[in-house]
Order: sequence, then C-alpha cells, then structure tokens
Amino acid sequence: MSTTRLPPHPAQVIDHEHPLSFTFAGERIPARAGDTIASALYAAGQRTFSRSFKYHRRRGLLCGAGQCPNCLMNVDGTPSVRTCTEPVRQGMRVQPQNVWPSLKHDLLSIIDRFDWLLPVGFYYKTFIRPRFLWPLAEKVLRRAAGLGVINTQAEPKGGYDHQYRHTDIAVIGGGPAGLAAACEAASLGCQVTLIDAQPELGGHLRFQTRTYADIGERSGLTGFELARSLREKVTAQPNIDILSSATVFGSYEGGLLGVMQAKRLIHLRAKRVVITTGSHEYPAVFQNNDLPGVMLGSGARRLLHLYGVQPGTRAVVVSHDETGLTLASELLTAGIQVAAVVDSRYRLPEAQDCVQQLHRSGVEVLTSYAIQEAHGTAHVDGALVVPLDARQRPFPHASRFIPCDLICLSTDRAPATALVAQSGGELHYDETLGQTVPQQLPPQVFCAGDVTGIHHLPATLVQGRLAGFQAAQSLHAADTSAPSSHIQALQQELDTLEQEYRHHYEPYPQLSHVWEKKKQFVCVCEDITHKDLAQGVAEGFDEVETLKRYSTFSMGPCQGRMCATSSARLCARYAGSELATRTTTARPPVTPVPLGVLAGRRPQPEKHTPLHHRHIALGAEMMLLGSWKRPYAYTTPDEEHRTVRERVGLIDVSTLGKLEVRGKDAARLLDTVYTHTFSTLRVGRIRYGLMCDDSGIIIDDGTVSRLADDHFFLTTTTGNVEFVEQWLKWWMAGADLCAHVTSMTGGLAAMNIAGPNARQVLSQLTDTDLSAEAFPYMACRRATVAGAPALLLRIGFVGETGWEIHVPAECGEQVWDAIMTAGAEFQIVPFGVGAQRILRLEKKHVIVGQDTDALSNPLEADLEWVVKFNKDDFIGKRGLQAIQERGRRHKLIGFALRDSSRAEGGQAVVVNGQPAGRVASAAFSPTAGKCVGLAWVPVEVASGTSPLQIRINGTVAQADIIDDAFYDPQGERLRS
Amino acid sequence: MLQLFRTQRMWRRHELKDRYDVVIIGAGVHGLATAYYLGKLGIKNVAVLDRGYLGGGNSGRNTAILRANYRTPEAIPFYAESLRLYQELSQEVDFNVLFSQVGHLTLAHTDTGVDGLRVRAEANALLDVNSRLIFPEEIKRLVPALDVSKAAHAPIQAALYHPPGGIIRHDAVVWGYARGADRLGIEIHPHTEVQAIDTDNGQISAVHTSRGRIATNLVVNATSGWCSTVARMVDVDLPIVSHPLQACVTEPVKPFLDKVIVSATLHVYVNQTDRGEVVIGAEIDPYASYNSASTLPTLEMMAAHALELFPILEEARVLRQWSGICDMTPDFSPIISTVPEVKGFILNVGWGTYGFKAGPAGGKTVAEMIVTHKTPTLIEPFALSRFYEDRLVGEKAAAAVSH
Repeated sequence: MSTTRLPPHPAQVIDHEHPLSFTFAGERIPARAGDTIASALYAAGQRTFSRSFKYHRRRGLLCGAGQCPNCLMNVDGTPSVRTCTEPVRQGMRVQPQNVWPSLKHDLLSIIDRFDWLLPVGFYYKTFIRPRFLWPLAEKVLRRAAGLGVINTQAEPKGGYDHQYRHTDIAVIGGGPAGLAAACEAASLGCQVTLIDAQPELGGHLRFQTRTYADIGERSGLTGFELARSLREKVTAQPNIDILSSATVFGSYEGGLLGVMQAKRLIHLRAKRVVITTGSHEYPAVFQNNDLPGVMLGSGARRLLHLYGVQPGTRAVVVSHDETGLTLASELLTAGIQVAAVVDSRYRLPEAQDCVQQLHRSGVEVLTSYAIQEAHGTAHVDGALVVPLDARQRPFPHASRFIPCDLICLSTDRAPATALVAQSGGELHYDETLGQTVPQQLPPQVFCAGDVTGIHHLPATLVQGRLAGFQAAQSLHAADTSAPSSHIQALQQELDTLEQEYRHHYEPYPQLSHVWEKKKQFVCVCEDITHKDLAQGVAEGFDEVETLKRYSTFSMGPCQGRMCATSSARLCARYAGSELATRTTTARPPVTPVPLGVLAGRRPQPEKHTPLHHRHIALGAEMMLLGSWKRPYAYTTPDEEHRTVRERVGLIDVSTLGKLEVRGKDAARLLDTVYTHTFSTLRVGRIRYGLMCDDSGIIIDDGTVSRLADDHFFLTTTTGNVEFVEQWLKWWMAGADLCAHVTSMTGGLAAMNIAGPNARQVLSQLTDTDLSAEAFPYMACRRATVAGAPALLLRIGFVGETGWEIHVPAECGEQVWDAIMTAGAEFQIVPFGVGAQRILRLEKKHVIVGQDTDALSNPLEADLEWVVKFNKDDFIGKRGLQAIQERGRRHKLIGFALRDSSRAEGGQAVVVNGQPAGRVASAAFSPTAGKCVGLAWVPVEVASGTSPLQIRINGTVAQADIIDDAFYDPQGERLRS
Repeated sequence: MLQLFRTQRMWRRHELKDRYDVVIIGAGVHGLATAYYLGKLGIKNVAVLDRGYLGGGNSGRNTAILRANYRTPEAIPFYAESLRLYQELSQEVDFNVLFSQVGHLTLAHTDTGVDGLRVRAEANALLDVNSRLIFPEEIKRLVPALDVSKAAHAPIQAALYHPPGGIIRHDAVVWGYARGADRLGIEIHPHTEVQAIDTDNGQISAVHTSRGRIATNLVVNATSGWCSTVARMVDVDLPIVSHPLQACVTEPVKPFLDKVIVSATLHVYVNQTDRGEVVIGAEIDPYASYNSASTLPTLEMMAAHALELFPILEEARVLRQWSGICDMTPDFSPIISTVPEVKGFILNVGWGTYGFKAGPAGGKTVAEMIVTHKTPTLIEPFALSRFYEDRLVGEKAAAAVSH
C-alpha cells in the first residue's frame, strides 16, 4: 500500500536526493532526509500506528504535530516517542508499544468487545468482595496498563544540560503572530527571544500552499512564501535570539519560562512574555472517530506539503470554515480524489477561490451536512454523513454513505492557552467561537494569533504587531514618545477584522448522542467515550474537575489537547450547570518533559581533604560522610583503637568546620549564639561550645579558641559549617554586632595526634614547649610544626594526651609525613573514623546529629554544664528555662551491656514491653571488654536502680547505667 | 458487581437547610469520614461544606501513600488503626478504593539514617506493626529497578520494609466516604464557602456561608491548607505554619516498580500507580506560603533525586506537576481536639504531610468524640493543649521526609 512521493515542492522539508532507512518492528523502512518517522512509515504504507490504552483499538496518524497519543512508539529504547515529530536518523530502531503480540494482531483488542463489562470507573465497582479478589485483579489490570516499557537493564544515556538566559521579551511560538510580534518589538530596540517548537520558523504557514490575498503589502504570497519572507526578516534582526526546536513547557512565577531544547533545559527569565502559541485541531465526536484513516486536516496538510506524502487516495473533507475548503482544493491539486466536502454551514462563500475550484473540479459539496460515523474495520472504507436542519439538528434517516479511505476533519480547534493560564491569565468559554480563550491578561503578558481564538491570518498579523509593540512600549514606560496613535490604528484595524470574522464564524455542531451504537471517543489517550462521560455525570461527577478524576479524561499523554473542550461541553450538556464549562487547571509541564532533562547534569561533588592522597596511598578504607570522603580504617578499628590507647595515633580531622570570628564584638556574638560564655575566656584558652535554636534544641557543637581579645577560632561539626556560618552572620546582623566570620574549612588541613606518646612525637617537630605545665589541657598556641605555621589546640576528643594541629592546606602532607616519620620509633599509626567512634564513646563524648536529634536539648543530653543561665541572654535561653521549669523528662545516659551481646544505634529501651527510649550509639569497647553506649531514656529509668532493658534482635538484654566515662573518668590521661 | 450496571448518583444535591446538628467544614477525606462515622453512630442531621469540589484540596493532591510505621508510641497505634480501617474500607463503603498493599520501603543512605530506621523498626515491632530493617541484597530483590550499587552518589545502606504499606486511589476514598455518608442521610454541599462563624457566650451558634446562614452548635474544622484561617474565625490561633508541597507524575509506563520507595536523605518518594504512571513527591517547600503554583526548581530537584534512585527513568516524561498546602505543626503531629475557649468547635487539623494516611482514624475518632463527649484514648496525645504544656509528640525526629 506504499505511496509514491509527490514531486519536489518548495514547501517540502524532505530531501529527495538523500535516502535514509530505519527499521520498524524489524522491517526495513525507506525514508528521506527531513522525514519524520511517521511520515516515512505512512509513505511506506503503514496505517496503524499504535493500539489504544484500554481497548487496544487500532489508531492511525491523527494530528501529525506531536499533540495526540496516536503515534507513540519506542525509538532506540526510549518509550512513548511522538514519531510524527521525531526526525528519522539512519539505522534507528523503532518498535510499536503496548501491543501483544504485534501491532497488526493485538490479542488484547478482544477487550473492545467486552466494553459492556468495563464501563467508566468499572474498577471502583468490582472486585470488592471477597477481599482477596482485588489484589489478584489488580495484578492483571496493572499488567494491562502503561504504555511504553522502561528498560531496567539499560545504562543511562546522560548528556543533559541546563542553561540560564535573560531577555526583555520572550515570544513563544514562531508562527505568523510570533514572527510579527518579534519583528515589531525588536524594531523598537528590545532584546527578543523567539522560542519555536518547530525546526523552522513559520508555524502553520510552512505547510500552506494557498495564496493569501488580504494581508497588505505581502498579498499574493502563498503561505510558505510568506513564512519565508517573515523568517528572513526575523533572522536579519540582530536583537532577536531564535530558539528553534525548543518548547516552552511551563510559565512559572517571576517571568521564568521553562524551555526544553532537545536534551537541554533553558531557564529563560523574561520581562515581558508574548504568547503566540497558536491553536490545534482536535477531532469531532462521532461514531468510530478513532479509526485509522480519520485524520485532522492539519495532519493531512503536513503529510502532503512538508513530506510529499499522499494521506489517502479518496477523501471526505469535513469542514465548517475556509480552512477545510482550502484543504479540499489542496488535496485535489495533489492528485487526491475528493469524494465529498461535508460542510456544516448552510451556505458557502461562493466568492472564495477554493469554493470555485471545488465546483470546477466537480467535487460534491454537501452543505448543511455533518459526519455521523467513520466506517471500516481496520481502516476507514467510508463515511456516513448526515444532513442537518436549520437548527443544525441531524436527520439520521437521511444519512448517506460515501466510500473513501481518508476522512479529514477540519471541524474543531482549540487555542493553546495553557501558558496563558500558567502566566496568570484568565480564560473563559467564548460561545460564538466555541473555544476557551484568554480574557484577562496580567500586565506583563500579551497574546496574539490563534491563541486568542481568531484563526484568520490578516487579523493574526495585526495582533502580532500590536502585541509586540505593546510589550516593547510597556518596557519603556518612561518613553512616552511612542505614538499611542499607532496602537489605536492597529487596534481599530484589528477590531474590524475580528468583528467580521466573528460575524461569519459558525462552530461545527456538536451532534454526538449517547444512544448511538458505536464508540464515540472524546479522549483518545484514555479511551474515554461520550457514553462514559454521560455516565459519569449521571453518577454525580457533574463538574469537569470531578468528572476528569472519575473518568480520567485528559490525564493521558496529550494532556487534554484532544479532549478538553469536547469533554467540558459534554459535561455542561449533561450537568446543565455553568461550573461544568470551566476547563481543568492547566498544570505544567505543557508538553511532557523527560526526567533527565529536568534533572540536568547532576554533578555530585565529593570533597577530599588535603591529606586524601596519603590515605589512598596507605590503602585506607574510605567512607562517605556528607559530601566528604574520609578514611574509615587503615587496618581495623580495634587495632587502631589499641594503638591510640597504648602508643600514639594520627587522624585526619580536616573535615571539621573551621571558622574565624574577628572584630570588636566577636566575644559578644559568641556569647549570644553559644550557651557557654566566651567573653570571659582567656586568650590562649579553649572552651567547648554548644549552640541551640530558639526552643533550646541542640543544633551544633565544637571548640572555641581565643587567639586574641578580638579573635576566635571555632570548629563546628563537619556537615554544619555552612549553616553555622550563616547562623552567626544572621545573628550578627540581627543584634547589630561588629565582627567578621571567615570560613577556613578548605584553607586548613587539620590532624589530631593522640596517645601516651603524642608529646614525644610532636616535640620533635616544634620548638614550642609542649609540657603539661607550659601547654595545659584546653590551651591553644601558635607554633611552627615541621616548618609549617600551625595552630595547636590541646584538646582530647578521644580521651588521650593530644593536639589538634591546624596548618595551611598546602602544608598538610608535609606535616603529616613529618609526624609519621617522627612517630616511627613509637610505632605511630594513622587511625580512621571507625576507631575514633569507639574512642569517643568510651569517653561519653556526644556527637551532635548522631546522639542528638531534632528534639534533643542540652539539659536532657547531660550537657547542662555548658548552659550558662547566669549570662544576659543567649539563643535558646527561654526555651531551656521552660524545660528547666517543667522538669526533665528524658536523659542521655551511658550504659554497658551485662552480657556479650552487641547493641546498635536505634535499638529500643523497653519499659513494661513498650518502647520508652532508644540507643543513640553503641560500640564494643576493648577497654571495658563489653559493649558500651549512650541511650535516651525517661528520667525515671535513668535515676532508677533496675538495669536497663535493651531490645536486641528481638530479645531483651540487660545493661547497667554508667554515670561516668567508661575510660579514664577523671581525665587524668587527658591532662597529663 | 451489580452496581456496575446501575446508574446512581454518588451523592445527592440538596438545598441548604437553616439548621444542622453538626456542620463539618471541608469535604476531604477527614471531613467526609467524620460525616460517615457520625452517620453510623446515628447522628444524621449533618452538613459537610466545601468551598470547592469534593476532595479538591489535599485529599486529591497527596501521593496516596499509606503506612503505619511511625516512630513514637503515640503515633504508631493511631496510624495502625487508620491502616486497618483502610484495609476494610472497600467492603465498608461498598466501593473499591483500589488499595494496593504492596509494601513500603524507607531508605537510609547514612549511618545515622540507619539508626533512625532502627528506632522505628523496634518501636513498630513492640507495637505490633509489621516493619523491619532490610539490607541492600534484600532491597534489590524487592525492587530490582532501584540503584543499590555502592557507586551511587548516596549508596543505600538499609531500608525499613513495611509490607502492609502501599498506595490507594485517593479520590476513590473521598467518593466512597461521600457516597456512604449520603446513603446515611448526610448532606454534602460542595461550592459552599464558610465566610464567618458566630459564637454566643463562647458557644458556637451559627455558620455563615456563601449560600446562606446555618444555625448549629457544633462545627468541625476539617480543613487542610487553610485550617488556621478557619480557626481564626472564632479567634483561635493555631501553632501552624503552612508550606506548599509539590509532586509530579510521568506518562504511564509498563509496571517496573510495585513498592513505595521513600528516601529521607534525597527528599523524594517514588511509586508507580496501577495506571503505570510514576508518581514522584518532594519534601515541603522551604518557605511558608499559601500559593499553590508549582515551581521549576522543585520539579528539577524531584527529577534529580528520583534519578539518583532510578537512573533508568531518565527518559520517562513528566506529564503534570502540582502542589498542595501543608499545615505544619511544631511536632509534625495533628491537632484533633476540642477547644476549651470555644464550646462546640472541634479541630481535626494540622495534618502536615500525613493527613491522608490518617483519614479513617481521624474521622472515626472525631465522630466518637462528638457522640460520647469524651476524647478517645487514641487521640489523647494530639490535643491542642500539648503546645501549652510542652508535651509535644516526638514525630519530628523521624520526619525528614514523612511520607
């Protein structure tokens, strides 16, 4: 059934000299460069393109513009590709989807016969009793649903990209209105970005071969010639950026447009938006209106003029305006027999060229006629048409059968108003036009062309110029020199044209009736028929929003393009209420956007410390903590633990947040944000600091070292440094304090040397006196270590004599190496996070975020010693006072398990068989010889004498509450 | 089955009467469930009012995930009861609410995350809710499409597997309760906006609506998204901040995922409906707002996070995004309570991101409270007074993502 191509024509986009080929269901299909998959398949004789969602009915090419669900296929593994807009690439592999076993013989089409069992919402009314029935039925339904297949074995393709752009005026749509608007706005000096979904500008003019007579200086040009002329003008303008093959999928707050261009997502910020998105045809509702061979007039035009493919051999054109009549004459010109033109109007404008050509060619023109049924099984073999009376009611008994293999519908048209609504415009249903059109626009939004409901080129061009002019003018509000007379003239011209258009406009009649035998589809995506909607309304779903949810119309891939107006009309017809004519909310995206495009490139930065390469060289087992890579262990945590306790160890702590706070109010700032007092801290000393939020919940902790009167050095938890920095700055501004906060996190390498031999090792590398007297616990000194300028903090998270050494990042490796060399005689080893966790737990040191959560306060976390209620005010004071007044309810306590079992974080502390608390952290302590940990328990339990009950793997283990640290409770080793 | 061939209105239209025993504001799952259970308890002179259409608020905007694997001993029994009622709901209202009890997995990508899940697993086990901690091998077996590799940006360490959890057809729940309530003689009035509420000596006396005045002594505030504005009509200030929450859905694809997947670390949850659509939800927007317009950055974030879990979805196309307004309380728990200062004013609000899961239990307990004049034990922890007595429920600790 393959058709020969029409001879080359200037409107065509295919290159006859450049053949390509691809496979469809394994069969080789010839194509030409410029073809879409669908046009090539059509030329090769393919008429069924897909099977429908519910009934598995055959579906053929309908819109030819990527608007409907009929041509969705799997292309090179990508499901649900709109093949009517997807260009052919050599060798691509195309497969039909949602068919079994094949597109031609789909066994599931049997469902079409059992439709009486599957009325709208049937699943709500069946499989209720017995209860086990539904899970079984669901499995079957589930398998039947869905369209494309996601290949779970495939490797992600990637290649996505995000871009950010700004413009004065965004013109959305490159049809005649958009081109006119862009030219006008650009000529007034505005920066214009013109976004068009097609590969080439011109909109529907690209496939119009008719001559336009009444469009001013360009009269006499054919549509495609006019498109070329406008295109040339636009491309010549230097201040118009053109984004072709790009779709605006959403209009968001603040003039932000989401634009998709292949694999790229562009965030376009526009000061003004001109919406010239045009309109699209959708099928009238009649019996078998989904049969292959029923095609929208615009779809037939595209095939014919862009790709040189004959959409059929013998056509019936259903029409109600000039568009349909010209289509008929274009079909004739292309050598297609026109069996009849069926026009719903009583009288045709005889003066029009196309009418005369039809008469000349002897085509039967049936006026006051409409289509009643498409006839055929696998494909259209005829049309049943019916005469109408003066009130446009049909005489069903006088219907006529006309054999044909193509029914072109030029009956209904819907403006593409989704972006108007998303931009804040109000829509209303225009009775005269039978369309939902923009009514009220926000000041920064303008509309022109078909989107306004006026499908008339002379008006479109004026509207475009007017919108462009107004958009530009509104940007230069101060410049009043722009002649308002110009606007007035355009407006007047437009008013006349629009009035005339409205005067002659007669919407195609809605003839469909619920009693008619064969299915009349409203929503082709979801297989929703007229009868389904009537039924839904009768069941009480009598407004579009509820009817939509019940019947699922408009929820498929076309997002309501093909059905929104028909369904709203039917809903109104049956519900008899005004509410029903409202359309449903136009949610973004307007066109489906792949998740990959939205996600973009997704870089996942991983932070490495300045000592990273040393860890790798040492073969450390690395772990991800937040975005940092840290060594978990070099050997085993237990072995490293022993070395630190017995000899000396070195750990990289560069991931600590490091902040410098300087300025005359630095101490006051710290007094405000920390619960502790720092104004009384002596220079050269360190104090532990704890931060709470307003309600007294712990948010961070760390050490605060005073380097000078007005200079502090802070450490924070690894993941929180950005937050703490912002928090300090926020309160600095709020409390009007004078200080600077500088993040030193990336600039400093930090390591902690700890163990009984730490002093012997470190003193080899510095002249600073490290003796306990000269450099006591919780003191800080500037020093030179291994030739590097260093800040030494004598603190002991792990509970041994030790120093935290901060050096410039670039000296990190040098200092690390020096320490490792100096420590060789003491058999120093590096230790990782694993050992550190055990070491700190033995000292009952709390890790914020691990042992505390969004409900932990210092009074209950056994950190009351850091809260200084006697100072003026600090963040969280009132909250903590309130907790103090109402009394503590929980307590963070230390525990040691009695038997040899191992506890884990998150296990429950059980009281009377109920969860009463939880283990915060736990680990086996080699020192204690058993599992120790921290747990949150009710105060009664904490102060009680009975052992703690912890649920471990389903059984309850007993634990003793331990008040002191498990290791060195007096801190003698720390201070020595 | 017979109803398949019968056409009957789900709920009838009524003229607004001038007096009702109970006026319920909000025809979402909570309001309609309250009405239904009130009817079952014999109170039938009830009007359910809504300013829009039935289930047009958060009942139709949530991602329809059901679960009971909460963290605290206060919340677990309550949501477990709700889940139990959901399991029986299709038979109860003779309308298939399409509950897919397929199982629910909450993922942990960090050590602390695993500990947090263990807290829930243990508390659930002690309170007879079926959930347990599972590890990558078993996760992969349950959800083959999930990327559990160590190479992932945030490798999955464990999951809390909750077999009774799942998804339901949220609209069907609303319609089922509406039909049930209607059959019991309760009136449902969509497009009837409450504009003011009168009190007389601290007692509710009337409700002014866009369709006229109604005398009543009992008003249930079962609204969501704007519940504090309704409470303010009787000068009750609620400790609630409302945030938008967004979600999106893709084109239908053949089934590849039959579990609900939630990741707190990635702030995202993913499931596939019976129709084949992949539903992706985000965490609440970081700012407070009543604006339910969708935003692009959140859509991008949802996409990015969903792809971290399911890289194979990169070519799945998003069809729609939408948002709802969540009423967040400080402790991520609802307020189901009488109000001491206003007699006859009952709150069933503050449902944050977990309201749909609680619909049946919320409605049932409120109905019981109205009939018995006593607070059922199940909802005692959710009284408004807890905010004045500092007895907050500890769900916030669990609720980085609370779906």
